[in-house]
Amino acid sequence: MTAVVVRGFFSRKLRAVLTGIAVALGVALMSGTYILTDTIDHSFAAIFATGAANRSVVVVPHQGLGATAAVQTATIGRATLQRVQRVPGVAVAAGEVFAVATLFDSHGKRLNTAAPSFAASLLPPRFEDFSTVSGTLPRNGGSVAVDEATAQRDGLKVGRRLRVAGATTAATYRIVGILRFAGSTSFGGAGVALVTLPQAQLLAGEPNSYDDLVIAARPGVSPATLRERIRAVLPRTLDVRTGVQEAAQQTSDLESQLGFLRTFLLIFAYVALFVGAFIIFNTFSITVAQRTREFGLLRTLGATRGQVVRSVVAEGAMLGFGGALLGLLAGFALAPGLDQLFKAFGADLPDSGTVVEFRTVWVSLLAGTGVTILAGLLPALHAARVTPIAAMREGVPLERAQRSPRRRRIVFALIIAYVVVRLALVVSSGAGIVTILVLVAFVLAVRVPASRRRIGKVFSAAVVGLAHVLSRPLTWRGSITARLARDNTIRHPGRTAVTAAALMIGLALVSLISILAAGTKASINQAIDASFAGNLIVQNSSTSGNAGIPTEIPAALRAIPGIAQVTPIAFTEGKVNHLKGTQTITALEPASFSRVYRIDWDRGNDATLAQLGTTGTVLTKTFASANHLKLGQTLSVLTASGRRIRLAVRGIATDNARLLADLTITLALARSAFSQRVDALDFVSYRPGVTNSAVQPRVNRILAARFPQAESQTAAQFKKSLASQVDTLLALIYVLLALSVIVSLFGIVNTLVLSIFERTRELGMLRAIGTSRRQVRQMIRYESIITALIGGVLGIALGVVLAVVLAATALSGSGFVLVIPVATVIILFVLAGVAGLAAAAWPARRAAKVDILAAIATE
Amino acid sequence: MSAAAIVSASELTRRYGEGEVAVDALSDVSVEFTQARFAAIMGPSGSGKSTLMHILAGLDRPTTGSVTLDGVELGTLDDRALTLLRREKVGFIFQTFNLLPILDARENILLPLSIAGRSVDEAWFEELVDAVGIRDRLHHRPAQLSGGQQQRVAVARALVSRPAVVFADEPTGNLDSAASGEVLELLRLAVDRFGQTVVMVTHDAQAASHADRLVVLGDGRIVRDGEALDAGGVLDLMKSLSR
Repeated sequence: MTAVVVRGFFSRKLRAVLTGIAVALGVALMSGTYILTDTIDHSFAAIFATGAANRSVVVVPHQGLGATAAVQTATIGRATLQRVQRVPGVAVAAGEVFAVATLFDSHGKRLNTAAPSFAASLLPPRFEDFSTVSGTLPRNGGSVAVDEATAQRDGLKVGRRLRVAGATTAATYRIVGILRFAGSTSFGGAGVALVTLPQAQLLAGEPNSYDDLVIAARPGVSPATLRERIRAVLPRTLDVRTGVQEAAQQTSDLESQLGFLRTFLLIFAYVALFVGAFIIFNTFSITVAQRTREFGLLRTLGATRGQVVRSVVAEGAMLGFGGALLGLLAGFALAPGLDQLFKAFGADLPDSGTVVEFRTVWVSLLAGTGVTILAGLLPALHAARVTPIAAMREGVPLERAQRSPRRRRIVFALIIAYVVVRLALVVSSGAGIVTILVLVAFVLAVRVPASRRRIGKVFSAAVVGLAHVLSRPLTWRGSITARLARDNTIRHPGRTAVTAAALMIGLALVSLISILAAGTKASINQAIDASFAGNLIVQNSSTSGNAGIPTEIPAALRAIPGIAQVTPIAFTEGKVNHLKGTQTITALEPASFSRVYRIDWDRGNDATLAQLGTTGTVLTKTFASANHLKLGQTLSVLTASGRRIRLAVRGIATDNARLLADLTITLALARSAFSQRVDALDFVSYRPGVTNSAVQPRVNRILAARFPQAESQTAAQFKKSLASQVDTLLALIYVLLALSVIVSLFGIVNTLVLSIFERTRELGMLRAIGTSRRQVRQMIRYESIITALIGGVLGIALGVVLAVVLAATALSGSGFVLVIPVATVIILFVLAGVAGLAAAAWPARRAAKVDILAAIATE
Repeated sequence: MSAAAIVSASELTRRYGEGEVAVDALSDVSVEFTQARFAAIMGPSGSGKSTLMHILAGLDRPTTGSVTLDGVELGTLDDRALTLLRREKVGFIFQTFNLLPILDARENILLPLSIAGRSVDEAWFEELVDAVGIRDRLHHRPAQLSGGQQQRVAVARALVSRPAVVFADEPTGNLDSAASGEVLELLRLAVDRFGQTVVMVTHDAQAASHADRLVVLGDGRIVRDGEALDAGGVLDLMKSLSR
């Protein structure tokens, strides 16, 4: 029996290869994702570990909201440093500043746009974990040293000038040295400008305070002992860790942040695997049907049903394992490709070497093999229903043996359970809307093979109808090849349906995402038009790294004649007692804000803002109703710095522009209680009668001179820049979804090849009665195009339906504007046809090569 | 029932369909096949001979009546038990040979044993290979064998597990007369030398003349059961029946 399985597997090499590739592509993305994220992880872990080696103990502000909250925390004052320095056993204790900054070369060109940059303070020599490649360390207030990677990338040399923009007015330094960090050329992709401590404090906008303290122990004092002693003298708002603990903490913080990236990529791997499952299912179904006599013979010779099922499953396992292995290896090549992809989309991630964890290997192999076996299970059970009589003579109708509905149900339950578990894993790691989309697609799609009887019938009918409609342009002139092609696609509607469904899934997601993107852009435009009453928006020119803009900008801009109002806005986070997760918070200046921004009040009015003070908050309506919060209620809110404040709900507002977050507070409170030291945006309004051309250039001059990281935009420019951000994300998702579409094309190739094999005799007959090779090729091509167009129409339709459903349910009340991007839809449809044509290229040639005599003689 | 009956059927009826469209492929057929004998079942198309063979072999179930194969009453067996019974006690030879194209001749012959997970009796295998005369073709795939050679491999496959009975379904239907003769000689040899019981369905008078006994069916009933005849006699008999 083993021989039958093994020989059978290798005798159907072509099918095995095509199906194997369908599995391999999804697995490749999976293993590539793991390899990439593990590599990033290890690169950082190595950096952290080297840093920790020189530090016995570190003191850092407590992160009240957890490591993933992207908010500022309180700094550490000089008094705290002095207290630590007095602890027995401390050899040296120093304050360190490590602040987000933006770097510019002498021509004003922004450096290192793909990753955040930092301004770091020079530490006493014993703590430093870098060496100078050339030049020296910065010894006075006018000098800076930069990391080797940034220097190489942007052609910086010792003696040149470097401009550093932090939380205050930008400063210019002379480059005195190039640094290499702990053996690696870059600090994990980030640019680092090393300056003296006073300069770093200046850049960070936190004079006399530090971001963290680093401590070296005296000889004979262990880090653990010293940690205990320091812990005893410091308040709980500070965390005290040994160097090793700190490295572990940093690594685990990073891992939780990388988790998002990993989940994001894995979703696309699952989609590709899921599409692959359709193809496996289809291939196995077709082959089982073709091997009816073989199964009948085995049954006659005494093979039990179990043996037949096991032989098909074993073949699936071999195929799946082979495909998964191929995919795993392809993942090695794909990981750097993914890295390049992210670089192309503006995210530079560090990676040194290639890290392959054992987990990558077994998860990839298990996923690929598991999916294949599961997808092959139904066809395997089908094979077991072949009666022995099927082997006896040709033309004996296939009598259906009694089926076991209970067993079928168990199989479906298993498949669904698998999908649910997978999804639960994905959802629990929180990947937002994409997850929900995939979930919906999964639920819809899994039902096609699952209850083929009911939904499959409808689906098949749709396929037949669509085949007729879509082939009309090909058949209307009476082309016989087109008619045959159409009839071939509807000969096995179920088969065509599943083939088309594989393509449908990818295209449904593509069209859904493009509709959501178009809608998002339209919603943004509408909301900005409705709410923004100002003339200019000032923000950081880079969207990466939460750099923010200095709080000094409003004062600087107010001096310009013609400007009426400048109102700063900041974003932070907090944790409302009894609610899940953290809540987003918008901080604003009440007096000036309501003059440049229209709030749609549900409860309260513009005067409410003025009464907020440090004890009041305004909630958005969606947040308030989701959590049953009412006007007048008092909320207890934990800040990132570990402070707990009480806020009374003074108003509830609807804000489609989403400027107002869950909670809105005053900027004064954000500065005092939330340690918010930079702003996110400044809204600028002009005096009546002042033209933009008279003011914006002056604004830009001031920004360029003092705050080069900031840029001003008119409402139209702002809308455009937001749209381009949406488009960037859209392009990234398109690239990742393309993989699923490619997988489904292999499905079309496979189905075509298998049905050509099945129709060898018929093709020979067609050739015998005078059909030219060209006509045969034409026929196969048409068949493929019709199938692909069916998938295209169904996919686009499904995408539109999902978008409409989402807009009406999850997104209702959010101001989402449903827009169908007609041009994109048409392009998708045409692309589906072209893809069908491409998929047919090789099968068509194969069909045309059929040897007439041999074909007619084929048993 | 005589002591040496390997397969016996009593009062078999096989009805297809229900109500007005019901057709009895077999009605009230009782028949026995004894050990080490070569029986031929003949009859025109639609006479029920294939149905009878399927039921005797446990591939199909009678509507009423019972079949006993080597002492086992088939009616009480479920699918799994029937499968195991086929494995142990029944050999099959088909009109279309039905060799697996992916296996070579040797592997095809041994297929029933490998399905059953039984070890190979090498001496018996060697004897069989010589008897069917395909020693020099053992490592050829079916596609590389002539029709006669393929059917001889199929005969060896049917005999390899030493079944209680071999059912042959039109074994010469796809062969020329020379190859047919060889295959029939082989079946005769299996009966005479190895004591094998063989039941053959055929409508080839020449083939039937190699048997010891000739059972003729017509319209689902046995119309003649007796000693075998020579080819001429069979033809005359068939002519007289179809009149």
